[in-house]
Amino acid sequence: MASLSTTSLSFKAPSTRISQVLRKGSSFQSVAFGRFASSTSKTSLRLQISCAAKAETVQKVSDIVKEQLALTADTPLTAESKFTALGADSLDTVEIVMALEEKFNISVEESDAQNITTIQEAADLIEDLVQKKPAA
Amino acid sequence: MRTSIMSQMQRSFSIELPKLVPLQLPSRMETHLWYVIPDEVKSTSLLKQYSQLLSPPENDKVLQMRGDKLQKNALLARTLVRTTIARYQTNNGVDPRTLMFKKNMYGKPEVDWQNYKNCSDPPLHFNISHTDSLVACGVTLHVPVGIDLEDKDRKIKHDVLTLAERFYSTDEVTFLSTIPDPEVQRKEFIKLWTLKEAYVKALGKGFSAAPFNTFTIQFKAGTNGGYNLCKEETKKCNRDWKFGLLELADSHYAAVCIEDDQARAPMRVIVRKTIPFVEDELISESKFL
Repeated sequence: MASLSTTSLSFKAPSTRISQVLRKGSSFQSVAFGRFASSTSKTSLRLQISCAAKAETVQKVSDIVKEQLALTADTPLTAESKFTALGADSLDTVEIVMALEEKFNISVEESDAQNITTIQEAADLIEDLVQKKPAA
Repeated sequence: MRTSIMSQMQRSFSIELPKLVPLQLPSRMETHLWYVIPDEVKSTSLLKQYSQLLSPPENDKVLQMRGDKLQKNALLARTLVRTTIARYQTNNGVDPRTLMFKKNMYGKPEVDWQNYKNCSDPPLHFNISHTDSLVACGVTLHVPVGIDLEDKDRKIKHDVLTLAERFYSTDEVTFLSTIPDPEVQRKEFIKLWTLKEAYVKALGKGFSAAPFNTFTIQFKAGTNGGYNLCKEETKKCNRDWKFGLLELADSHYAAVCIEDDQARAPMRVIVRKTIPFVEDELISESKFL
């Protein structure tokens, strides 16, 4: 059962993100540090303004992440969930990005891929890339 | 992120920890590879003792992991690092709670030795890797080290050659494409992934300093598991980088990479299984794939 709702995405208090912004780089886990970790988390301080398209994108991203990481239905998952906190290693992240490319018919540059650390960031990038595509 | 000495001291020093058995330092060409099997650590009181070793920021990170299993593995990873490094300080026995860590400018974790200026033991290098079912830590003396683990049976959802063409070097793609059996091909892909990852981690400059498709790691036949590291562009090989590929716990591939510009002897990897504070078991010495 999806645990996301529009309100929980859009009105997260910005103050909780400060601690993430101050924390440098990636964690000590098995993902190669610096690979897909953004050292400035610049999107974290931006207020998330929700609209229907974003929620749907986030849901699709979440589904792909859940599948790639074989998450159980009761794993707590939000748009702010970090891939590493969900147990993704470097190979998982690569496969997630490729699955997103296939699902949304986009092409993600390696430099952009390295900045994706959360479901929300992936959804934002996807929306950005989809918008930039010439009309079919 | 460093906490002050005072806040470290204030943190539960009244709680007695079991004694840690000291360890002999690795020799220069040796990597000590320690691993824990999370499923074998069941005691909640033991896990509670482990959580008391961690600094507050480390504990926060553990709690950020989503789900009990991931939290336990993160806890075991930090415990393994702290207890293992502490055991190598053969003078006066270092309390694992007092160890401090920092990150180099690219984010690679290192021990912060600033409080041990009087300690005569030379600084150790370490690197951690873990999967769902295994946690490992490699330790070396003097030389940078990187390790990576992957489950041997890990399913690759995309076509292996498609992944290789995108991420690996041309020679590696050629090597993989000549393997007729898809299962063998999958295994070789994973082995290469661990070797390449171990190199990037040993290098310690982040993934962007050495994208996977800019270097080749190739097996050197007849050298008891040796590998060459060569640049994709120039095809020049750098003999300072040494690799070892092993199997751990019958379930994982583990790659170890060190940088040593002095020694020409093959590297050695001593593998031990452990449950911190409880037991150690010597598993193998330089048993490479």
